[in-house]
Amino acid sequence: MSPLIYRPDGEVGQAATSLAIAPAALDGLRIGVLDNGKPNAALVMTRLAESLAERVDAAVSLVTKKGPHGRSANAAIPCAPDVFARVVDESDVVITGTADCGSCTAYSVHDAIELEKVGKPAIVVTTTQFATIAETMSEHFGLPDTRRLVLPHPIGGTDAMTLESWADAAVDTALTLLEP
Amino acid sequence: MTTRVEQRLLEVADTSPETLQAVLEEHGWGDGLPVVPPTEDRVDRMLAQVPGDPDEELGVLHPRAGVVTPRVAAVNAVLAGCTPEAFPVVVAAARALARPELNLRGVNATTHPVAPLLIVHGEIARRGGFNAGVGAFGPGSRANATVGRAVRLVLLHVAGAVPGSGDASSQGQPAKYAYCVAENIDESPWESYAVSRGVTAPSAVTIHCGEGPHNVHDMESAGDPALILDKIASAMTSLGMNNAPISQGELFVGFGPEHAHSLAMVGLGRGDIASYLFDHARIRAGVLRRHFEERAWATWMKIVADDHLLPMTGHPDNIRVFVVGGPGKHTSLIPSWGMTTSVTLPVEEGDGS
Repeated sequence: MSPLIYRPDGEVGQAATSLAIAPAALDGLRIGVLDNGKPNAALVMTRLAESLAERVDAAVSLVTKKGPHGRSANAAIPCAPDVFARVVDESDVVITGTADCGSCTAYSVHDAIELEKVGKPAIVVTTTQFATIAETMSEHFGLPDTRRLVLPHPIGGTDAMTLESWADAAVDTALTLLEP
Repeated sequence: MTTRVEQRLLEVADTSPETLQAVLEEHGWGDGLPVVPPTEDRVDRMLAQVPGDPDEELGVLHPRAGVVTPRVAAVNAVLAGCTPEAFPVVVAAARALARPELNLRGVNATTHPVAPLLIVHGEIARRGGFNAGVGAFGPGSRANATVGRAVRLVLLHVAGAVPGSGDASSQGQPAKYAYCVAENIDESPWESYAVSRGVTAPSAVTIHCGEGPHNVHDMESAGDPALILDKIASAMTSLGMNNAPISQGELFVGFGPEHAHSLAMVGLGRGDIASYLFDHARIRAGVLRRHFEERAWATWMKIVADDHLLPMTGHPDNIRVFVVGGPGKHTSLIPSWGMTTSVTLPVEEGDGS
């Protein structure tokens, strides 16, 4: 008989979850932006929300940082509970991020999954250089098919006009991600 | 019917280093170095050194959400080349890594080069053969090397901290291979670090998630210990470390015994040293504001004027003092990743049965 060795990886403890049901139509809906404070995150995500709202006749209802009271943000921890409650209350769909580093990708994906769990479809804005990390994190956190919108890299350090053009060009992808 | 434990077994052609290496690579496992085959008898010898059920859950390690048990920890300890005598430290470390305040999901996923530093305290440091003295952060001690490596293998295999998927560290760092020292209690003028944090068990382990050690060399300070502390404060005063924008981060200072004695001789204790460094390692608020768009600062730090000199952490208690190393005039500063809090836990040992 061949020798036996133990696997070193252990079992996975995370329960699988599923996406929220996407709205049948986007017109009249409220789009929230949950900003993790990464450089240019608010700029590019707000532009994306505005362009998306214009296309489908929706409204940008809320742009907030994810720290307590929305006054600050730290990308390396979960969204503050008071801000999470406000986002859930004031939005029908959410754009969150930016997932363009390591811990911020982990926690942007985490926040998006928590929103999906309470019925709010959430787009995670990531970049080409962090798309793989975002995908792995989604698998690890029990929801492989998070709604990931991949922009060029980097978001931090890129000028506003370029970022706005990236956001505008991503509206079609955002619509696809929000299809029922 | 196979049991859950049997399902964890893999059949291999043989247990040669070459075959083992190929098996690891095929599964995306390993740290790149050769391993010891984790056979059932070797794993059982590890498990005999810890109390309790070998399949009890010690914690869930993120981002993979892998469940770590004593058995899973033992498999990784065997792979790393640990001795059974040192293995209880790996189990305590696994528990510590799962603690929420350590924020392992962030520690593993970040682009920062953070690695968990293990500091081993008490009886097991001596019995397990850990090096607290000359070259403690470096090679030559089986316990330091293999316990440090075992913890990294647990992070790779159980927590999924694989570079490029679960670990985004832009550059990595050598401490991600193994990062384990013992506290040099024999030459410390102060009580054990673990005791100072309220852990009075005979053996304990501390985990601090930070950078590699930054050396502070001072041999000019005979009779004036302030010169040692000023040099440490100078090393702490850096815009390049995450302690600058994140005020909850700790700064561990591993004093060489000679520096420690120079300070203790004039009556300085841990709290005095922390207060001195809190007071002397400072950067102007306006400079910090200019450099960091987002600052995770304690509320009191947010309201100061631009010309105010701010400390490098929000509270003196975040400056942590221990003794490590051998003869010479060197001390190590280990800055934090930031959004993490160190954990000190007792090490529980079995009766060898």
